[in-house]
Formats: sequence, structure tokens, C-alpha cells
Amino acid sequence: MLNGNSARYRVVHETSYKYSSMVTSSRQIAHLSPRETSWQQVISHELEITPNATERTEGIDFFGNHMVSLFVDEPHQMLIVQAESEVVVSRYAPLPGAASPPWEQSLAVKGEWGPGTDLEIESYRIPSPAVPLLAAARAYAAPSFTSRRPWLEALLDLTQRIRKEFVYDPEATTITTSVEEVLKTKRGVCQDYAHLMLSCLRTLGIPARYVSGYVLNRSRADGTKLTGADASHAWVAAHCPGLGWVAFDPTNGKIADIEFVTLGWGREFLDVTPLRGVVLGTASQQLSVAVSVTPIPEPASVARA
Amino acid sequence: MLLSYPNLQGRYDELFAAPGRPREPWSRLFTELTLASVSEIGGMRAAAERQIRDSGVTYNVYADPKGQDRPWDLDVLPLIIDAQEWAQIESGIMQRAWLLNAVLGDIYGPQQLLREGLIPAPLIYGHSSFLRPACKSEVPGKTHLHVYAADLARSPDGRWWVMADRTQAASGAGYALENRLIVSRTFPHLYRDLRIQHLARFFATMRDSLLHYAPKGDGPPLVVLLTPGPYNETYFEHTLLSRYLGFPLVEGGDLTVREGKLWLKTIGGLRRVHAILRRQDGSYCDPLELRSDSALGVAGLTDCARRGTVLIANALGSGVLESGALLGFLPRIAERLLGQDLQMPSIGTWWCGEPAALRDALQRVDRLVFKPADPANGFDVIFGHDLDAKGLVEFRKRLEARPEAFVAQELVNVSQAPVLTRDTDVRVEPRGIGLRVFAVATPAGYSVMPGGLTRVSSSSAARVVIMQRGGGSKDTWVMSPGQVDTSFTLLRTTVTPADLVRAPAGLPSRLAENLYWLGRYQERCDDIARLLRQTLGLKLQDSDDEENAQQPLQELARATGLISDDDDIEQALLTAALSVDEPGSLPSNLKSLQQVAFHLRERMSLDNWRVLNNVLQDIPDSDEQEVSTALEWLDHVTVRLMTLSGFALDGMTRDNAWRFMSIGRRLERLVFQCAALQCAFDHDGTAGLTWLLRLSDSAVTYRARYMTGPEWLPVLDLIVVDASNPRSILFQAKGVLGYLEVLQTAYGPCGAELLRDHVRFLMEMDRGQHLNPESEELRDTITGLRSAALELNDRLTQRFFNVGQARNWSSLRL
Repeated sequence: MLNGNSARYRVVHETSYKYSSMVTSSRQIAHLSPRETSWQQVISHELEITPNATERTEGIDFFGNHMVSLFVDEPHQMLIVQAESEVVVSRYAPLPGAASPPWEQSLAVKGEWGPGTDLEIESYRIPSPAVPLLAAARAYAAPSFTSRRPWLEALLDLTQRIRKEFVYDPEATTITTSVEEVLKTKRGVCQDYAHLMLSCLRTLGIPARYVSGYVLNRSRADGTKLTGADASHAWVAAHCPGLGWVAFDPTNGKIADIEFVTLGWGREFLDVTPLRGVVLGTASQQLSVAVSVTPIPEPASVARA
Repeated sequence: MLLSYPNLQGRYDELFAAPGRPREPWSRLFTELTLASVSEIGGMRAAAERQIRDSGVTYNVYADPKGQDRPWDLDVLPLIIDAQEWAQIESGIMQRAWLLNAVLGDIYGPQQLLREGLIPAPLIYGHSSFLRPACKSEVPGKTHLHVYAADLARSPDGRWWVMADRTQAASGAGYALENRLIVSRTFPHLYRDLRIQHLARFFATMRDSLLHYAPKGDGPPLVVLLTPGPYNETYFEHTLLSRYLGFPLVEGGDLTVREGKLWLKTIGGLRRVHAILRRQDGSYCDPLELRSDSALGVAGLTDCARRGTVLIANALGSGVLESGALLGFLPRIAERLLGQDLQMPSIGTWWCGEPAALRDALQRVDRLVFKPADPANGFDVIFGHDLDAKGLVEFRKRLEARPEAFVAQELVNVSQAPVLTRDTDVRVEPRGIGLRVFAVATPAGYSVMPGGLTRVSSSSAARVVIMQRGGGSKDTWVMSPGQVDTSFTLLRTTVTPADLVRAPAGLPSRLAENLYWLGRYQERCDDIARLLRQTLGLKLQDSDDEENAQQPLQELARATGLISDDDDIEQALLTAALSVDEPGSLPSNLKSLQQVAFHLRERMSLDNWRVLNNVLQDIPDSDEQEVSTALEWLDHVTVRLMTLSGFALDGMTRDNAWRFMSIGRRLERLVFQCAALQCAFDHDGTAGLTWLLRLSDSAVTYRARYMTGPEWLPVLDLIVVDASNPRSILFQAKGVLGYLEVLQTAYGPCGAELLRDHVRFLMEMDRGQHLNPESEELRDTITGLRSAALELNDRLTQRFFNVGQARNWSSLRL
């Protein structure tokens, strides 16, 4: 099925919070609805919350992602948010060997601002709280970015180096671990990998954004599984003149394509946290997340040539 | 007086046009100063200082070693500006405010200025005060910038320049008002004769404009002033403006969001809030969508802002314009948006993110001042000419590594104005000054306050490019072109007898809760101090009778959680009296008392506050923890607590605020007295009753009434059913019942029925039959009252404090 030019998936993403004592109310913002894009069609999407939400509003955030605000106004000790979506993803990534301009062409001309500034690109060239510009990140990236190397080749090389040189280790980091630390310890999870790669790219001056989503949980021919499956996943998209936005998954060392379901993007994790919220009460919480991505046979009508 | 006043070269002098020749607007003041004796002037200065202390004007400095609050620093000589010059400033500020509002509208809307490159996109996108969730908000009246302030300085050629724009939540307007009250009283004739313009109308305009722009619906319009709380350095100003404008002072925890609208939690339920005058940085306003580490905000406020259901002054995200990096781009923006030149120029300012600006800055580092392009960059202002050769090399490297983080600004020799020195032989000295002016949006354009806050550098040598912490202030007098409109002061003419407010409609829940706990902690500390004093005091005496009294007293100490079962009693009592770290000890309760009181600062007089502040003073060191030093300390505490209750009795209006405090006090005492009585019952006869009378502060009364030693009937009469004894159980229960009945008329049932039967029994009982420890009815009533008090605490919490879930205090023991 993945040999074709499109694939259909059902994604179920369940987040549950268990509180040590009663929480009186809870306000949450969910970035759990897949984004409609030129390569991704959202067939259906449902978001359910238990207990029932007293208020629920949908909107589009600054980055163009779908977001849902939820307010639960009754005492509860358990909160479950379940998102169930069906999407069709088409092939959209350039092949690894495709032609691309020298990477330097994606840099801004320093200090010149004039009519025709593309804000969609400039939004992602600047540092952000979790993605600082770092001399260490520049130094780490340097071997991949030799002078006038084709953009695609340089980025893929960086993507693969991160995959090879870093150890995927959920115990090593938390959501507050900085890029500096990750660079030092060479350990982390998909989020850390993505933030690190973003820091490398933005320090160089290449516009790059954080992408939140899922990767297909599929056994490869050699029996290995892609890392990050059965959880929400994160990767990176960078902008190249001519090619547009190309997505790279440093956790798996590859260009992201038809195996990836996109929820949305922003500057960094915090912009597109799947679920973030504020609860009233004095409880401590226990979080558990379950994700399943299942390929489903595509009805003929949706299949493309 | 003015003999020693030096006329510096290379600076504009506000007072003198030439040595010995004062400028026209200053000539009257100059004459007065020349004629006055040193002692007269010293007297003026002292009177002003006294007024500042009396009205409690303060400015908190976070890092101030002298303690948190510092008296406001005011020099009584005003800065005088004539009408013609002011007209230019006014017009320049009006234009600039209009322009900045339009820039905000664009940044948070179509972003055309960014697309056209008139503002470099990274400048905005990279700024920590650019709040993405606030984009595309429905801003009421399309007005983002309601209150604007500009920091001005005058260059040697006499021109005024804008040094910085304040668009976030500018402070100073309230201090300007306070300065005016004091300085106009210092020079009453001069003030009148020079026809100085009044400030009151500006504040009335601010109030009217906010009400005008505020969205409507759900009851009469309510504007609140949002403060980060008493720790903020300008908290005094927040309380002052709140009173002056008539906007309730609230913290994030007082507000809640329901159905996309904002509400104030009051003891009468939720009340719709239509507008917020914000004195809190935008990024701290909503933990849900903005800074999630902020405990100060209101979850969901950003959503209200996007829907336009609440006016936020200034709009969320307005702080982005405070980046000095923007100053250099304003002239072209003015041309693009207004087709006009900027009337009031900004001081030469360049964003180093532009290669040309960087090259230039690198060449003349020593003649420039460097500021962060974003306060979040976290460095202080750097004066180029302060750097030595090594520092210069290092700084150039820093600048080249991250040019976009820096703004380079021309170093200005600001003008100087006369100030009175602090020493005893008062002299007049020149000091560098800067002027902060204020404007407020109205439907008819921006209105500028005729005056402002003049800020004074801390020493005559200081460069006032930025006003440093530690500088002082002056009143700013703007002369009127014609007659001064004196018909107007905010406080006198806008309140008619029909508007007189006897009790603010909605006492905020948090306030009521804090007052309640203030009462409880005050009483709890008092009870504990008395109990410890008695128990430890007995250690120093040795009559049998006293020895026996140890039993019930220690039991009571255990019952109230002061000591635990298997302790070395004496050590445990000392710990309870002296250890700050021991939970439940007297010092730890005093600390809780201080904490609660701190959040009620604005409701306390300075004297009251001073006593509270010092309540933990003189606590014996750990190496001198003996019974005698402990007793001495307990005496201190008891006296201080008496003083505090005196303030409450004498200084507070009998409104609902007072009622909540009193309920707290009475309930706490009720529980304590019931517990004491129960201990007495359990030790019937063996321990005597003297300890109980003393503990109840009723020994003197008893002796005055009865010649005999303590006996059950008269003792119980005095401490249980004598409604004239402020320590009696009936007094507490009746008091609480009375307060609850008043609250009930406004807010419906709130638990009075829990007390009614008990009170009736105490009042109507047959004393001969029931005033003895064997009476089942009496014992039941005491037990019943104790549990009723606990139940009432929960009822009050649910009914009044947890409106839409207030902060959780339930971990505190009763």
C-alpha cells in the first residue's frame, strides 16, 4: 500500500490525566486535529473529552493550525481526551537524490528588508525560547554544510548524522531539557532531536519549523520499527527556494513523506503541544498517552493515480 | 541659596537662561527661593516628606537592601514649562501615540508594514513581547494603545527628544498625581498665580474613555485595575489609581473566564468585567496561552481578547513597541501611514541587526549607549565610554556575534534642573532630568496629561540617559495659555450625594477570604501566645494549685496542636513559642498572619502595617531559648497583637470587609474558648479554675465582681453566658450570628441556622440548673458550637470564597 502514491490512515490518540485528588475545573487547548494541506486530506476527525466539556470552541492559531479550546467545569479526578482521525497522505517529498540549489541560497540577505517579505518564511528564521541560536549548534552542523553543497544533500546529511550520533533515550530528558544539554549528552527523544536540528538550521540562517504528528507504526522488511511510533512524533521542515518546505525526521534519519501524518507546525514544541492546560486544584497528575496509527485500505474513489 | 548653583557647559539649564538670569516661567520661583531662609526651605522640604510618609507613598525596589518599601523620593521644586513649549510637546505626543496605535493595529493584524519591509520582520517575530495568540483579536474601537507614555529628554540646544516609548503598562501617572497634591500645597500661591494646569481632568478622561470603549452587556460596565500584587515595585500606584479612578483593584486570581467572557469573583457571585486597566505585563496575563509558568494570569483571557468581549488597556502584546530598535524605523512609518514627518523626533537610535548600523556602531562604540533590543535578552545598558581597551575589544566581539540583540543610541547630555539637597544646610543643586509624559486614547484622539513625572538623576554627575533606580522625582508644572479651568476635580465634582457609595457592590472573594483569615490568624496568634504564656509562666512558680493547672493547660496545648503527646514538655513549649520552622508554632502563625496581611496592604494604614511588619521582631536567638526569654517575647507579642486589634476596632468602617474579618476572629476565639472549657470540664475540681480565668483574660473582672476564689457557677457565668464579656462564648457566637444575619439579607442564607439554637440556649437557660460541669445540655452545647464553627468555615468558604473556585486554603487547620 505504501508503494502507491497515497496512503490512508486511522489515527487514535488518547491522552489521560489521573489526578491525586479532585480537580475542580480544567481548561485545555488541543492541537490534535490533523492539518489540511496540499498533501494531506482529512477525511474525518473527532475529538472527545471525558468528563464532558462545558464549553468548546474551535479556532485557527497564529501558525494556521486547527486548535480546540475545552473547558470542563465539574469536579473530576480523571480527564481523558481522545482524538480519532482518518487522513489520506500523498507522496510529496522530493526523492533523496533530487536536484537542489546550493544551501546558501536559502539564507536571507542579511540586513535587507523591503517590499515582498515572505512572512511565512521569516516566521521560522528567528530563534524561539526552546530553539536558541547557538555557536555549538553551528559547529555541530558545519561538517554537513560545506560550501555550495546542494541543499537537499546537506540537510539529509545533517538529519542522518543526528540519527547516528545521538541515542534515543526517553529517560535522558524532560520537556524542559535545553538544546545545549542535548548537544552535550547526545541523548533525547524526537522532540529533542527536532529542537536540536532546528537550532542548527536557524543558527545557520535556514528557515525551519517544528512539525507535530505521527509516524506509521510499521515493521520494516528487516524487522525493525520506526522510532517514535505508538506515540506522538515530531520532526522538522525546512524551506528551500524552488523546493519549498521539505520535511526531515532526524529521529529516523530520513526525509518525512507518506508514512507521516501531520497535525500542525510552529516554531517549537510549545506552539503545537498536542494538549496543554490549566487545572484548578492542588493535585499532582499522572499522564498517559496511547497512539495508534493504522493503515487502512483505500476506497477506490479516494485513491489517486 | 543659589550661590553655589553651577552653570555647566554643554547642557541646557531649565532654570537659567544665562548665569544669574532665570528663564521667564521660573522667575517667580527664583525670587521665592532667593528670599526664603534656609530654615524656611528646610521646613517646606520636611513638610513634604511628612506628607509622603503619612499617605504611605512608596516604591518597592526588588533588590533594595533597606527592605521592600522605600518612601517615594520627591523634590519639592517643580519643573516649570510654559504654555507655548508645552503645546509643541503635546502635539508631538498626540501624533506619536496615534502612529504607535496604528503600528500595533498592523502588527497584530495584516502585518503590511512587515511585508513591505518598513519594519524588519525578525524585529517583531523575535521579540518576547510579540504575543502570537493576540493576533487578529477583535480590539474594541480598534484601539490597542489606551495609555501611552513617552520618556523625553532635552538636548543642549533646547529641543525635546523621545528617548523611549512606554506602551506596555506605563507607570508614573499616579505618582505624578501624588506629587501634584504635595507640591501644590508647598507653593500654593505660586501654583495659583502661575496658572498651572490641573491634572484631574486627564484621569476623568481616562475613566470615561475606558467606559466608552468597553463592550456592553451583563449589567453596568465594570472596569478593574489588574495588578500583579503587592510585590510589584509600583503597587502603591496601583492602589492609588484604583481608588482615584474608582476601579476595583484585582489580581489574576480574582477573575475567571466563562463562555468567552471575563468575570470578577465577588462574595455576591460572578460579575461581568468589561474592561481591564492592566498593570501586568502582557505575557503574564494568561497561563493557558501565554507564559504557562505565570501564576498571575487568568486562564482564557487571551480568548476573551480575541473575541473582543473585554477591553484590555493596553491590548495584549502592546509591549512589543517598547523595543528601542523600532525608534529608527518610525520616521518612514510615519510617512507611510500618516504622510507626515514625525513632529517629535526620537533620539538617534539604530538597530544593530542592520549591517550599515552595525558598521557605524562598531566604529564609534565609545560615543554610544547600547541597550537590549528585547528586555528578554537580559543585559543592562552599556555605556561605550565606560569600557576600557580590553572591555572594548570584548564588547565589539559580543556585538558582532549577535548584532540583532543590540540597539545603539546616541549619548545625550540631558538638561539640568534645580533640586534641594538632602543635607541640613539645604542648598540648591542642578541635577539631570528626564520627563515622562502620558496620553490616553479618547474617541476624539489622544489626550495628553498637562504635566507628567519629572525624573531626577541620583547624583549631579550621573548621566541620565536612562533614569536609574534610585533617582528621584519632581512635579511638572505646565502653565496655562489662558484661565485655568478650576471647576474640575475628579473627587469633588463627579460624586453626587446620590452616588455615595456605602458598600462597594461586590467585595471580591479573594479580599473577603484574606480578611477572614486575617481575623483568624490574628486571633489564633493571640490565643496561642496567651496559652503559652500561662503554661510557661507556671513553670516559674511553685504552688500546688498552679502545679495542678499544668494538666489542663498542657492538654489544651495538645488539643490545639501546639505540642504533641510524647514530647519533653518544656522543650516542646519553648519550640512552640520560639521556632519559626515548627508548623503550628506561634512564630509560624505570625508569619502566616503577615502573609495574609501583605495581600491586604492597601487596606491598612502605614502604622498598622509597621506593627505587622515588626510582629516577629526580638524573637530570642536559638541559643537563648529559656523560659524567661520566651516569656518576655510572649509579652511583646501579646502587646503587639492588642495594638493590631485596636487598629481593626478603631480604623475600619463597619462594612462587609470588616464583617468578614470579625467573623474570622470570633470563630477562631469561639473554637479556642470551647476547647479550653472542655479541658476544664475534664479536670473538674482538681486543677482549680484560676488558669481558665487567666487564659480567658477574665481574671480581673472576676476579682472585681466576686470576693471568693473561682467557683464553677460565677466562672461559667462570666466566660460562657455573659454577653458583655468580649471573651465569653456567648459573645462570640452572638457576634458571628449577627454578622451572618447582615450578610444573609444581601446574599441569602449562609449558615446562621447552625448557631441559632445554641445561642438561644445560652441566652435562655436556667443558670442554676445548667451552669455547672455536670450539665449534659451545657456540655452538648459547647461541643455543638465547636463543630458548628468548623462547619461554618466550610460554608463560608464554599459560599463566598470559592466563587468559581478561588485559591485553595483548605490545608489550613481550624
